[in-house]
Amino acid sequence: MVLPPVAVVAVFIGLPVGAAIAYTLGKTGGPNSTVALFAQRQHVAHHGVTLGAYREVLGNAHVRTDLWATVWVTLVTVVCVVLLSWAIGLYLRLSDTWIARVVSALSVVPLFIPVVIASYAILTFYAATGFMKTLAYHVGWHSFPTLGYTLTAVVIGEVWVNVPFGVLMMSSGLNSVPNALIEAARDSGASLPRTVRSVLLPMNVIPTVIVATFTGIYVLGSFTVPYLTGPSAPNLMGVSMQQFFGSFNQPQQAEVMAMIVFVLAAGIGTIYVWANVRASKRASSTT
Amino acid sequence: MKARLLAITVAVLVFVPAALSATYAGGHVKKANAGTTIVVYASGDVNVQNLWQNNIIPHFEKANKGIYVKFIFSEHGTDDGTTLARIGAAVKGRHWPGIDLVDGGLVTTLALAGLNQPVSKATAANVKKVNPDLLAPVKGAAIPYRGSSVVLAYNSDKVSSPPRTLSALLDWIRANPGKFTYNSPNTGGSGYSFAETVVDSLLSPAILKQMDQGYDPSLQSNWKPGLDLLHSLNKYMYGNGVYPNGNAAVLQLLGQGQIWVAPVWSDQSLTALKTGQLGPNIKLTQISNPSFTGGAAYLAVPKTARHKKVLYKFVNYILSPAAQQMIVDVMAGFPAIDIKYMGDSIKQKFQDVSANTLRPTYQTKMGNDFKAAWQQSVP
Repeated sequence: MVLPPVAVVAVFIGLPVGAAIAYTLGKTGGPNSTVALFAQRQHVAHHGVTLGAYREVLGNAHVRTDLWATVWVTLVTVVCVVLLSWAIGLYLRLSDTWIARVVSALSVVPLFIPVVIASYAILTFYAATGFMKTLAYHVGWHSFPTLGYTLTAVVIGEVWVNVPFGVLMMSSGLNSVPNALIEAARDSGASLPRTVRSVLLPMNVIPTVIVATFTGIYVLGSFTVPYLTGPSAPNLMGVSMQQFFGSFNQPQQAEVMAMIVFVLAAGIGTIYVWANVRASKRASSTT
Repeated sequence: MKARLLAITVAVLVFVPAALSATYAGGHVKKANAGTTIVVYASGDVNVQNLWQNNIIPHFEKANKGIYVKFIFSEHGTDDGTTLARIGAAVKGRHWPGIDLVDGGLVTTLALAGLNQPVSKATAANVKKVNPDLLAPVKGAAIPYRGSSVVLAYNSDKVSSPPRTLSALLDWIRANPGKFTYNSPNTGGSGYSFAETVVDSLLSPAILKQMDQGYDPSLQSNWKPGLDLLHSLNKYMYGNGVYPNGNAAVLQLLGQGQIWVAPVWSDQSLTALKTGQLGPNIKLTQISNPSFTGGAAYLAVPKTARHKKVLYKFVNYILSPAAQQMIVDVMAGFPAIDIKYMGDSIKQKFQDVSANTLRPTYQTKMGNDFKAAWQQSVP
């Protein structure tokens, strides 16, 4: 029963990942012989394995700066996306006006715009001659910062790209909270903030965790937004990996960086799994 | 039920590509019965595609009945990585890689890995007309077929007399903060050329020649003074040190008037001027002492390519004055053969910057390390 999917995963995912791990440890034979033929600055293990590539990459101060940039851009983006999508989701849940419906439609628009187009648009919008700066100038704010080609622009882009998914998750999570529960809380005298804190928040934990973890994993490995809107250095790991792989012809170092990003993403994934396990335990204990 | 569905999915995943490649090969064989088909892979921008697809190939096929050229194009070289692996694996296993002639950035990598047929074995007479200096950086295993150079573009509304030498350009940059930038060298050749030219100006000619012709990491410590100089220019760059990604991003800044002077590819900027992406106020000039580097684009014949005799007939045509003239007309490129073989109008046009005087760039592997060194010490 489970054999076909396992075989697919093993052949199309397991095998390449295994070969890549072996390559980062200095094994240049077998499936890695073609990539090893062209690469430069390789660490080759003639016997056993070598950690030379890891030592080189982690010892490189610029890679470490990129790593920190990646971590903080990811954290800021996750916080912004969770707050924004919570706010929009809550507004949609508690209000049924036409404005709410317009907001809900607008908030998913980025889902239908290709990331490349969006990145160029953000770059133009926040450039030195862009709309934001022009507007700020006309209202008297002459020192409005040029955000194009900065990590702030990357954060704006990542938030822009990830908010629709967050809003969809949050609003479906909040919509599944029965009206009766909210009304019961209001009837027993709870204020609106109290209702949100004691009823909606605890019943919407899993969607929140999903939005936070998926956004985090997406931003960690993202390429297009930081490549087009970010600075030359420091930039996110996705861009550095591409540079090492393509421009510097150092695929081994690029794969080591991929391993680092993989470990970070696996850490985020653990939070997701833990939250799910906890929720299902709680569900089974209450029924 | 589920298991059957999955089994079908797996079968589809495995067999559809196999069947497709089988039909692909079948179509190839069918054509081969009527004559000989050679397969060309090229990567680059649409101007390269236009050169092959609408100019060189149709003219060659028309003049040589029975020879067909199948053209595979990869825009911006997105398939270069997989093509490189495909050719590498095929040549090592002594199979036909499915490609007979390669044009693109991967050619020099193939040449240095020893996967190409050496030029000395080429049966194309016109190969002798190319500048032999261009063969050294590729170990004589790739054929230069066109050149393009990096020039200085300036906004004539703002800059009445552009700098003519490198040192004058550096002075101009310091005197006009925020009005100059170049793309990060790992994202495009025009920014790469500026960075290399500044570094080269502080190198001895002997060391520079070694860097152009071979790969010797021990020489790389000589880059330090030049890279430090580039680093000191950060505060005079557009946006206090913004290096956009890609040649096109620089053209965009120039067209918008955000910067006034920038290094650009000659062919790309001439096309941009023609299409109106750059206004008529943008002018081009070359600096001297040293000049910006130029680059030759190379063709590769993988060792296990088929129909080599017919293939070299095609190569011979590409290097003929008629085809070289197309390169000049269609993409504003430079001829790769010595200009003494070209018509008088070309001789006049290129008397200043002929393919022979295009200043060579670092050998490919050296260049890769240079991009890494720039990334780690300049921005």
